[in-house]
Amino acid sequence: MLFLISWRNLWRYPARSFLIMGSVVLGVWAGLFTNAIYFGMGESRKTIAIRHEVSHIQVHHRKFQDDKEAQFSLSVDSLEQAFRAYPEIAAYSLRTVGSAMVANASGSRGITLNGIDPAREQATRPLKDFLVAGDYLDTALAHRVYLSTRLAERMNLEVGNKVVLTMLDTANNIVAGAFRICGLFKSANAPFDEQNAYLLKHELDALLGTTGRAHEAAMMLQDEQAIGKVCAGLNASLPDALAEDWTVISPETALVLQSLDQFAIVFILIILLALAFGIVNTMLMAVLERSREIRMLQAIGMNRTRLFFMVLFETVFLTIAGLLPGLLLAWLSVAWMGRTGLDLSRVAGDLMRSFGYGAVIYPYLPARTVVQTVVLVFITALLSAIFPALRAIKLRQNPPA
Amino acid sequence: MVIDAHNISKIYQPDTVPVYAVNNVHLHIEKGEFTALVGPSGSGKTTLLNIIGGLDQPTSGQVLINGTDLSTLSPNALIDFRLHNIGFVFQSYNLLPVLSAGENIEFIMLLQKIPASERATRVRELLQAVGLEDKKDARPAQLSGGQQQRVAVARALASKPQIILADEPTANLDGQSAANLLDIMEKLNREAHITFLFSTHDKRVIDRARRVITLVDGSVASDTAAVRTE
Repeated sequence: MLFLISWRNLWRYPARSFLIMGSVVLGVWAGLFTNAIYFGMGESRKTIAIRHEVSHIQVHHRKFQDDKEAQFSLSVDSLEQAFRAYPEIAAYSLRTVGSAMVANASGSRGITLNGIDPAREQATRPLKDFLVAGDYLDTALAHRVYLSTRLAERMNLEVGNKVVLTMLDTANNIVAGAFRICGLFKSANAPFDEQNAYLLKHELDALLGTTGRAHEAAMMLQDEQAIGKVCAGLNASLPDALAEDWTVISPETALVLQSLDQFAIVFILIILLALAFGIVNTMLMAVLERSREIRMLQAIGMNRTRLFFMVLFETVFLTIAGLLPGLLLAWLSVAWMGRTGLDLSRVAGDLMRSFGYGAVIYPYLPARTVVQTVVLVFITALLSAIFPALRAIKLRQNPPA
Repeated sequence: MVIDAHNISKIYQPDTVPVYAVNNVHLHIEKGEFTALVGPSGSGKTTLLNIIGGLDQPTSGQVLINGTDLSTLSPNALIDFRLHNIGFVFQSYNLLPVLSAGENIEFIMLLQKIPASERATRVRELLQAVGLEDKKDARPAQLSGGQQQRVAVARALASKPQIILADEPTANLDGQSAANLLDIMEKLNREAHITFLFSTHDKRVIDRARRVITLVDGSVASDTAAVRTE
């Protein structure tokens, strides 16, 4: 009957109870929905990083990543032979990579040149899909370079302009070539775009002296779960090579994802802390308004423990009554927006791109976040109940007539 | 002997200007008595009743209920003692507004951990005893003052107490309701030998009491059997 009394006590002052429940509903919904947006952003960043930038795994010569010197390359044949042993690899592309200067009459900038096979590159870095002006690289057309719109803006370049690309070859000699801009691209990661330019692999190999070799192999797997196994296998079968997964190649992305869980908890805690003050205030008011009734209950034989739990149950019910609708509202809004997407392109598209996030966010909530929220709400309810419950049991026992 | 109170005093503000709410009162109430504590407002009736019921602590003195010294009991033990030995009827009924009449009565038995089947039977019997068997599911707000006070009496009886302490039980009742209530209480006193101790200045109650103890300024001024006017 304690449950019954506690539950019915909530409805003695419906307006006040609805106010607190409403605040719990809004708090839970706002916390979960905001976290869903952040998880969606995290997922967007991860997807962009893997599908547009670094792929699941990259393989380099063990010394290449230190200074990206052209001499540290791997045999194309040995790489392809090693990859054949892994059906988990869905697609791969081989790149010649070098640090270079791009120069025109306006100035010069340091970039990373990527010599690619245009068709195979689509599987690991869909550059053709990012085309905004001109044409993608074509093996039939020589001395073409594919730049980002951001780099073009910085250097006052257009499609059809010529640039000079200068770099060091395998013997550390300065080599250069003149290339015409065939097309401009724009992906979801503006800084990454600005840093990278693309040309045909065999033309870059000719400049650097790396024919038959590659500096970088990027691969996409059928299933992410196989990353560890494939990395370990390639490291064992290619002694000169170092296979690394995307969390190593793009540690900032991995850090963002790791911090999301902690951020979600902290955010919910802040909201619940604010709610707790309201709950404590409301329950304290309820106890003090019913001090005569509470003293009567003690008079007729209700001990302090039962009294404590009566107030505790009331507080928990008040909070839970707001939790369930809050969870439902969060689930509905996340489910709906998870399908339609939150389109930020008009208000913050460029800002999102500058950090490597897509402009359309698809919020989603991991189950663990929902469970954490439920647990935290329960804890908040229990802690909020303590002070009013203690106040109740400290009331003097003799009731007024 | 049911109630034995020795040298009971209750002093407020003992260090400044002491106020004697109860002043050196001796009281012996036997089993089955139907006794009224009377006196003007401020005479200490309610304070003495609360002390006897363990709801207040005397500044000095000792209260024994069936040989148990209330001052030796811890707060929880005192609450438990009241639950099993003393029933209370208050001036303002003090029913739980969120429970029905039946649930208010059943609540006491739940506190005593009485099994469900026995609770249901006893609730029915108690409501019949107070003439409210058809009001089992009515909330207090749906009952008249007299009906609420009868439910309060039934609740007080739910724990099968030996003593019922009633503080101004008829103060908020009209003549007919007060008479009905007193009829019920007299019947219970006569048939079940429950000891009734009233705090009252209602002549209707005083006329029915077999013993009248008059308090003036916290002290017993007289202690005599009341002569019922026929």
